[in-house]
Amino acid sequence: MPPAVEIVGLTRVYPPAGKRATARTALDGIDLVVERGEVHGLLGPNGAGKTTLCKILSTVLLPTAGVARVDGYHVVKDTAQVRARIGIVFGGERGLYTRLTARQNLGYWAALYRVPRKIATRRIVELLDRVGLADRADERVETFSRGMKQRLHLARGLVADQRVLILDEPTTGMDPVAAHDFRALVRSMRAESRTVLLTTHDMAEAEAICDRVTMIDGGRLLGTEDPRTIGRWISAYERVEARPVPGSLAASLAALNGVTEVESIDDDGVRVHTAAEGATQAVLRTLVDAGVTAITTGRPSLEEVYLHVIGARGLAV
Amino acid sequence: MTQPPSAAGQDGAPTRFAPPTQRDAESGYAPTVEPPATAGRVAATFEALRYACLSALADLAVIYTWKTWTFGWLARVLCQVAFFALIGRLLQNPATTDYLLIGSAVVIVTMEAAFVTASSTWERGAGTLPLLVAAPTGPFVVFVGRSIQWLISGTASANIALFVLAPIFGVPLAFPTALAAIPLIVLIALSSYCFALLLAAFVLRVPTFRNIVGNITWWTIGLLGGVQVPVTFWPGWVGAIGEVLPLRHGLAGVRVAIAGGPAATILRDAGLEIAVGAGWLVVAALAFRRLAEGGRRTGSIEFGE
Amino acid sequence: MTSMDLRDGRTLRLPWPRHTGFVAGARLQLAIFRRGWDSLLALVTVPLFTIAFLAITRHAGRTDLTAYAVLAPAVVAVIGMAILTSGEVVTQDRSNGSLELALAAPSRFPIVVVGRVLVVTLVSLVAVVEAWLVAWIVFGVRVPVPHRTAFAGALAVATLATVGTALLMSSVFVAARSARTFQNTISYPLYLLGGAFVPVPLLPGFLHPLCRAVYLSWATDLLRDCLATKPVPDFWPRLGAVAGLGAVGFAAGYAILIRVVDRARATGRVGHE
Repeated sequence: MPPAVEIVGLTRVYPPAGKRATARTALDGIDLVVERGEVHGLLGPNGAGKTTLCKILSTVLLPTAGVARVDGYHVVKDTAQVRARIGIVFGGERGLYTRLTARQNLGYWAALYRVPRKIATRRIVELLDRVGLADRADERVETFSRGMKQRLHLARGLVADQRVLILDEPTTGMDPVAAHDFRALVRSMRAESRTVLLTTHDMAEAEAICDRVTMIDGGRLLGTEDPRTIGRWISAYERVEARPVPGSLAASLAALNGVTEVESIDDDGVRVHTAAEGATQAVLRTLVDAGVTAITTGRPSLEEVYLHVIGARGLAV
Repeated sequence: MTQPPSAAGQDGAPTRFAPPTQRDAESGYAPTVEPPATAGRVAATFEALRYACLSALADLAVIYTWKTWTFGWLARVLCQVAFFALIGRLLQNPATTDYLLIGSAVVIVTMEAAFVTASSTWERGAGTLPLLVAAPTGPFVVFVGRSIQWLISGTASANIALFVLAPIFGVPLAFPTALAAIPLIVLIALSSYCFALLLAAFVLRVPTFRNIVGNITWWTIGLLGGVQVPVTFWPGWVGAIGEVLPLRHGLAGVRVAIAGGPAATILRDAGLEIAVGAGWLVVAALAFRRLAEGGRRTGSIEFGE
Repeated sequence: MTSMDLRDGRTLRLPWPRHTGFVAGARLQLAIFRRGWDSLLALVTVPLFTIAFLAITRHAGRTDLTAYAVLAPAVVAVIGMAILTSGEVVTQDRSNGSLELALAAPSRFPIVVVGRVLVVTLVSLVAVVEAWLVAWIVFGVRVPVPHRTAFAGALAVATLATVGTALLMSSVFVAARSARTFQNTISYPLYLLGGAFVPVPLLPGFLHPLCRAVYLSWATDLLRDCLATKPVPDFWPRLGAVAGLGAVGFAAGYAILIRVVDRARATGRVGHE
């Protein structure tokens, strides 16, 4: 069976237009495979090319070069088949008919996806129940909260039983409880072997629900990795954080074998970077002997890796 | 610092992800239902149209209450028709009064149908355009249905203006033939709507011009259609353009009907109006397909826009 | 009293308060016009109105009414812009979220609105030039202005009176429940009652008192008389009527706007949000 998404050498160049005198490369030779049933995150700053990639996969945009396949179907040559299989889930307020009810919105999109009416009626009831909107089904969408609209978006993306879903920053602007509930829904997609491609800025979210994440910047793919092991992009070894650590103790830590750096954090804490086997134990022993009790160990977080790889841009986009 | 591994992996092939084996076994993955046969597609298209019309009616209920429609919009329409009819009084020419009143009343339906160029851009504002392009049915069906509120309002206001103001201004109505004006106005509404849909396909690219295009449209159709002056007033080539525009033939039919003229003439004008409308509907469908394809090429269809 | 420090070190003292809000509003409106054609809709339709009106009069063989046919589109456009653009000045701020910020700023908000409305009204005068040009280009018709000074004076006073009415509209629209319906509704009634094309005496008698209560019918009659060859009768009293009624509109608009602002501060809501 072909993978859910297969991308080879995908490129999208925008020719010079208007005030912009040079061509802009939004995607530059991307290669990526997303297997069935995978929840795959796309991380990158604004303008990195995440949305461009999503638009190409959903057939809303043509690539300039390269190949993209969804479920084995070519996004340019087999557009109709791709459209029947892919569901787009936006984040935010856009993309819903606010003056219609939730049920009517889903009926609408079911019709546009040519779902036979009987099947559509049954499926809409199931979907509304699943996303927790069953008792608000016949209320106008304009009365919904942000979280409810997002859940309706997800239902909309599933109305034709699409196997591949693209979620474009779905939890932007959601309060933590709503976002948490939404993520649980996304996780349930995995159990049905649906493939989810998710663009997000939220590192915690990516770590929580993605099987793998891909970092994109400037149209280029920087790497793909399981978020739980992505720390090894920066360091193969653990780091130790502890507080309070006076200056003398910090100096003795720095002198230990295998310690590459002792970084000050907060007012009185340190982060000890190691680069050798067994160094962590030595550091821990030293700290415990000195009476320090607030100690944590770990690999670099996804956020750290992101900031490290994408780079500090200040406020520039 | 180690470099992140590239997606190409060490052997140059894309890195593959091996899902836990239980998923493949238990998922019971079934291919998506293939697009249904032709009868099913037609049914689905009508279903989509039905929902689009539902959306239009929901909009209508928000735009107008019956009070605001009657005392607001209808009052304005009556003033608009009276404004032009009174010019005949200034000219001290009753025939001009009759001519202007009938023309100004009927063009109301074209004016409202032209709102579709503006209201179509609401799809862009609502962020649904990319979703429509990505859906199997495509966007045209939705655009056909989602602005029909203007047809309903326009047909009602034009007919009311004609049959209420004509006796007030002393315009003779030859009943029962004059009643043929009602279905003729409906036909003009539909053909104007089809023409305005074509322009909507262009205005979606430049939504800032939506109101300007809408207004220029109905004014031009009116000028070339014999609303203010007979088409013979204009130079030949200008008048000829009006032959293929909505309103011209239908309005001629309305004038004949009100004067109690022959049914054959009325039917011929009705037939021409239908033909004009059908022609523009086809062109509009092609324009929307081009919009979608062009948008895919240039990237002008934004996500969440 | 305003003090301004000049570059050469001197200090300029002006005997009036420095209304930076007025200037800010005016400049904002100019910037908005540069960016968006939609707010100039009324000017785009001037050629169409002119062609229609001139076609009617010429088809009827009434070249004596050419001046009426050319003035009317200009009047329609000026009032049209007052309704469409001036009327939306405050409601637009409310919908794009900048109204609360404007109310919280030091400049007095009604003054800002006056600045914006003045710019809109001045820009709408382009319609006069447009109508004259279209008449000449399309029909080869030149409309002379026999009483130039009187015409200029009447136009200037009518413009200021329009500013007053436009201010009234912008305040009423934000206070009313459904501004958009209002906007689409009052255009033609105003053109009709204001005698934009057909003078008020030709309207049904029961409408005359209503027409005369609005500055517009006085202004259109006066402007038409300035385009006629014979001397303009009762010029100054009629000009006074335009000015006076315009001032009433201005005062009413300003008062309503102040009330809207005060209520916004008290209730946290602006008009019927």
